[in-house]
Amino acid sequence: MFKYQFRWDTIWGSFDFLMSGLQMTLIISAITLVLAMILGLIIALMDMSRFAPLRWIGISIGEVIRNTPILVQLLWAYYVLPIVFGVRIESLTALVVGLSLYQAAFISEVYRSGIQGVPKGHREAAQVLGLTPIQSFFRIVLPQAVRMTLPPLASNFVQLIKFSSLGAVISVSEITRRGMELSATNFRPLETFTFIAVVYFIICWPLAMGIRWWERRLQAR
Amino acid sequence: MAGTPIIAAESVSKKFGEHQVLTQVSLPVMERDVVCVVGPSGSGKTTLLRCLALLETPSEGRVVMQGIPISTPAQEKPVKAAARAVRSDIGMVFQHFNLWPHMTVLENLIEAPLRVKKMPKAEAVAIAERLLAKVDLSDKRDAYPARLSGGQQQRVAIARALAMSPKVLLFDEATSALDPELRREVLLVMRQLAQEGMTMLVVTHEMNFARHVGTRTVFMDRGEIVEEAPGADFFDAPKTERAQRFLQQFEE
Repeated sequence: MFKYQFRWDTIWGSFDFLMSGLQMTLIISAITLVLAMILGLIIALMDMSRFAPLRWIGISIGEVIRNTPILVQLLWAYYVLPIVFGVRIESLTALVVGLSLYQAAFISEVYRSGIQGVPKGHREAAQVLGLTPIQSFFRIVLPQAVRMTLPPLASNFVQLIKFSSLGAVISVSEITRRGMELSATNFRPLETFTFIAVVYFIICWPLAMGIRWWERRLQAR
Repeated sequence: MAGTPIIAAESVSKKFGEHQVLTQVSLPVMERDVVCVVGPSGSGKTTLLRCLALLETPSEGRVVMQGIPISTPAQEKPVKAAARAVRSDIGMVFQHFNLWPHMTVLENLIEAPLRVKKMPKAEAVAIAERLLAKVDLSDKRDAYPARLSGGQQQRVAIARALAMSPKVLLFDEATSALDPELRREVLLVMRQLAQEGMTMLVVTHEMNFARHVGTRTVFMDRGEIVEEAPGADFFDAPKTERAQRFLQQFEE
C-alpha cells in the first residue's frame, strides 16, 4: 500500500470516456427528476383523494416503493418487466422508470407535507372571506406549499445523481459504469474509483450547500 | 330589542365525539350590538364563534342570519345556498391573525374583493388604501406580513375583514396572542369600529373592553350561557356565583 505507485495518467488518458459517462449521469438525473415530480404529484393527489380506492392505491404504491431497496427495484424492472410484458426493455429505460418511481414515492411525501404544512388558519381565513375551496387551494395553499417544497425537491436531485450510479449494475453507461469498464482494462481501480468519487462530490457538495443556504433564506422571510 | 337579529345562534349544541362543548346556546346579535363573550378557557366561547362563522357545523340547533337559516346539523341544500349568499357578510378576526404570508399587506386586503366580489382592481385598491389609513398602516401597504409586529398584523387582519363590508364582525380572542403593549393599538381600532356602529361579537379576556365598549356581556361556562347583562352591569353586579368567582380573578 505504502509503496503504491499512483498512475493518474490512465485517468487523463480516458478522460473523455469518463466524461461521456458523467454527461449520461446528469441527463438521467434531470429526466428522472422531471418524471418523478409529475408522478409524485399524482401519487400525492391520490393519497389525499376523497375517493377511497384511489387513496388506497396511492398509499400502497408509496409504501411498497419506500420499503423495498432501490437496487432490487431496478433489477426487478430490468429482468422482470420484460418477462411480464414480453418486451425487451432498454437498460436505460429500466433505470429511468425505476428511479422515477422510487423518487416519486418520496417526492409525493414532500408535496403532501408541503400542502399539509400550510396552517389551517390560512384556509379558514380564506373560507370566512368567501373564497371557494378551489380558489383557496390555488391562491393560498399551493403558492405556500411550492415554496416549502422547492428545497426538498432540489435535495432529491442530489440524491438522484447518486442513485443513478446504480445503473451500472444493469449496464447503463453512466459514469460509474464507465469506471467499472475502465478499471477492467487499466487494472487501476484505486485511481479510477477515487476519481469518480471526487467527481460525484464536486457536483453534489456545492448543490447540497446551495440548497442549505436557500432553505435558511426561505425560513428567514 | 325589537327587530330581527343580524345573526343568531338558536339552541346550538356542539359535540366533538363524546365531548359536549356547547349545550343549547342561544345568542341573538342585533344591529349595532357589541356583544362581548367572556368566560374561563374551555367554556366553549370560541366554538360558539366558529359556529357563527360557519367554520363548525352545529350538532343541534341552527345559525340564523336576518331570519334565514345558514347553518344546520344536516346542512341541507337551501341552507348551504343561503350560507354561500351571506358568507362575506360575516367577517372574522382570528387570534393568530392568519394573514397570508406570501402576499403583501395590500394583496391580502384586495384578494377577497377581487376574487369573491369580482370588484375592479382600482376600486379594490382604493378601498384597501382607505382601510389601511383607518387602521393607521398606510406606510405598510407593500410590506409582507412577517415584517410587521403582531399588533400591526392584527390591524391588517381587521382591515382585511372590513374590505368585504361585513354586516357583523366576529373577534376570536383578537388580542390574546399579543404582548400587552401591542394590545392597546388593536383595542383602539376595535373601539373605534364599535363607535362607528359596527355590529360585533367579541370573544375576549379584555374585561375593560367588555365593560366600557360592549353593549352586552355574555358569560359562558362549561358550554352554556350562564349569565347575560347589558354593558357594565355584569361587572358591577354579577348575579350568579360562577360569574362572581370568575370575576374575582381579575380583582387582584
